[in-house]
Amino acid sequence: MLLELDSVTAAYGRVLALKGLSLTVNDGEIVTLLGANGAGKSTVLRTISGLMTPQSGQVRWAGASIGGMKPGVIAGLSIAHVPERRRIFPGLTVRENILLGGSNLKGVSRAELEADVEKNFAIFPEIKPFENALGWTLSGGQQQMVAVARGLMARPKLLLLDEPSLGLAPLIVQQVYRVISGIREQGTTVLLVEQNAQMALSVADRGYVLETGTIVAEGLPSQLLDTDEIRAAYLGGRAKPN
Amino acid sequence: MTETVVMDRASASRRRYFPSAFGGLTFAGFAICLTALPLAVSLTGYQLNLLMQAATYAIAVFGLVVVLGYAGQINLAQAAFFGLGAYCVALGTTDFGLGFWLSLLLAVCVAAFAGAVLGLASLRLGGHYLAMVTISFQTILSLTLNNWISLTHGPDGVRGIQRPAILNDSRYFLAFCLAVLFTAGFGVYRLKRRRLGRAMQAVRDNEIAAAVSGIDTFATKVFAFTLSAALGGLGGGLFAGGFTYISPDQFTFAESVVFLTMALLGGVTSAFGAAFGTGLLILLPEWLRFLKVVYLAVYGAAVVLIMVFLPDGLWGIVTWAKRRLISEPPVDRQSIAPLPLTRQAACSAGQALLEVKSLSKHFGGLKAVDEVNLSVRQNSVHALIGPNGSGKTTMLNVLSGLYRPMGGSIVFDGGTITNAPPHTRTRLGIARTFQNIRLFPAMSVLDNVMVGAEQSGDLFSSARAVRNHAFSALEFVGLAERAYRDIGSLSYGHQRLVEIARALAGNPKLILFDEPGAGLNHGEKDRLVELLKQLKDRGLTVLIIDHDMAMVEQVAERITVLNFGRHIADGASRDVLRNPDVIAAYLGEVRSDAA
Repeated sequence: MLLELDSVTAAYGRVLALKGLSLTVNDGEIVTLLGANGAGKSTVLRTISGLMTPQSGQVRWAGASIGGMKPGVIAGLSIAHVPERRRIFPGLTVRENILLGGSNLKGVSRAELEADVEKNFAIFPEIKPFENALGWTLSGGQQQMVAVARGLMARPKLLLLDEPSLGLAPLIVQQVYRVISGIREQGTTVLLVEQNAQMALSVADRGYVLETGTIVAEGLPSQLLDTDEIRAAYLGGRAKPN
Repeated sequence: MTETVVMDRASASRRRYFPSAFGGLTFAGFAICLTALPLAVSLTGYQLNLLMQAATYAIAVFGLVVVLGYAGQINLAQAAFFGLGAYCVALGTTDFGLGFWLSLLLAVCVAAFAGAVLGLASLRLGGHYLAMVTISFQTILSLTLNNWISLTHGPDGVRGIQRPAILNDSRYFLAFCLAVLFTAGFGVYRLKRRRLGRAMQAVRDNEIAAAVSGIDTFATKVFAFTLSAALGGLGGGLFAGGFTYISPDQFTFAESVVFLTMALLGGVTSAFGAAFGTGLLILLPEWLRFLKVVYLAVYGAAVVLIMVFLPDGLWGIVTWAKRRLISEPPVDRQSIAPLPLTRQAACSAGQALLEVKSLSKHFGGLKAVDEVNLSVRQNSVHALIGPNGSGKTTMLNVLSGLYRPMGGSIVFDGGTITNAPPHTRTRLGIARTFQNIRLFPAMSVLDNVMVGAEQSGDLFSSARAVRNHAFSALEFVGLAERAYRDIGSLSYGHQRLVEIARALAGNPKLILFDEPGAGLNHGEKDRLVELLKQLKDRGLTVLIIDHDMAMVEQVAERITVLNFGRHIADGASRDVLRNPDVIAAYLGEVRSDAA
């Protein structure tokens, strides 16, 4: 077991966001978190990456407790977080933004990092023409591509992806999902938050469904897709395949 | 049934308004007692002077609450406005023989005029430029006071300043200063919860969102600056009367920094906090005098420690405690009226409500929008789609007035608006939401929506009507129960809904949505589709950008496709989604359910 959350509670001021939530992620898996807005999906990722401190409960990484550690320390443990709302550095160029994603890698030469950046440009050729443009000048969707590329640069053991397809054109969403399912071959485990449940379950090994800070269902994609309540609540009636 | 609803509403409003009326009475009683204090208790001359200084300074610090705390604009020249007021009263009552009251009026007017001129000249800059301009003004005034000796008496200062006969006794004059202090403080406190105060806070929190909510941001900032200067002049005028002697070294840049420290120490967003900070900063050195030689060092250290550990000032503790201890008032959803969307466009259905002709916007060499034509029919849902970076959001920014177009024309409901500022367009009936949500984070959910309701034209007769309308808009998007929440405690998707509620609260004719579906799951998108359909049923016109083609196809009758800033397709939704160029540039693969 690579990552384990055990009865984790977390709050924003007086508002409880996670109420004793437990989940596990095994090495090499792609696990997805589904649920309505405000269910606590992003908070789970923020708690793992150290942006939130759990009030109680345990976050264990390869058996060791990491709950409440500083984000910088956790990033050094090879956990990369691609947060919602992009959060790229507006005053740095696109190349610098992506390069910074590799700043946790020790003993990797600049040339190797530059080669990794080129690999990411190969994945997202749309942003290559803007490699020397400042981050803020990019459109929202282009910024999203930079954020995902920055996360991949860390060569993480665990990649936390918060709505990677947000604001991307359908053509690019298809690319991103090809990348996500390809990441596994490089030995990366993925914890994926996604509003598009169909899309997320199409690449995931397992899924959890959250409701107001607790897990209400878990299982294989096929099991989740077969549960009527989940179909109705999160998959919608209108986007059935064919 | 109707009766019970009315009853509920009455009891709910009593719950809501009783505590504030109670608070107001407590405040009035407290203020009267304190005002009478100098008359009832015997004070030494030294104590009188300290209190006089605290009271007059606090009035000037209220000015900083308005300009910095509410409107978010830096003013490093409050001592200059304070000095202007002081010299008006000093010279008015001595050399010019105008009498105290006329001189005090002059003090307020001269300071306000100086503030307005300085604001008009510099508030388009903002940030550190504004800080530089105010410091320069402060320096110029100090030089003038010292060197225009024939008028100001130079470094010697002005002595023998007159008070009105009835207030000649220092105790009476102090009581008068306290009365002015409480009146001004109450006014500043009330301003925060008024239309104008909310507009200032909206400008502070997010100027772009404030502009598209219908606020004339420049006028609001200039007004805040003028009001701040006027309060500085008022405090200064009373200061001159209180001490009967003034000199230029009392109104230097160092003194402006003291004013700023007082405001920040107490809590710059609260009149009470600012008054508290002023009193503390004046009394603290006196309390520490027993430390003899090191007292100034201890005083400095105390101020630094408070700033470091209480970034919101001392009043921050009170706000924090209030938030912890007092629970949100319950929201009675039964009593919320349905949202009226009654504003009718002049043109009839089928005619173009928005007509855009060869619109262009370039950034350097990048043609973000390049001669685009777009015609949105009255009471239709029109979608704008295209690859990332194809110019969709730029197009929306030009339509809502945030960017000036370089060529082309925009006609809305029969009038040309090509170069109109954003707030004018909002008042004409164009509302919008943002791709990267722009809310006013330091204000409650309800206040955010109230800004949208009250700034988009003179639609409401009373503050109560605005509040009720904001509740209706929140109920329309399903968030009425979270009205009193902080923006930061809402999820991304809910923040989007607050933005939509704010846009709808202004009764728009046309609403521009920039990726409203991003961050929503299927169930929530279904509700968004329902909401969009309801808007259309009620006569609104919608222009929407989104990447979810299933959703776009469900709601939009017509689609315009952009690529590299130019439009590559235009027409009925089904045709456009099957256009091979559109598939190649944007969709990637033919959707299985697009048949």
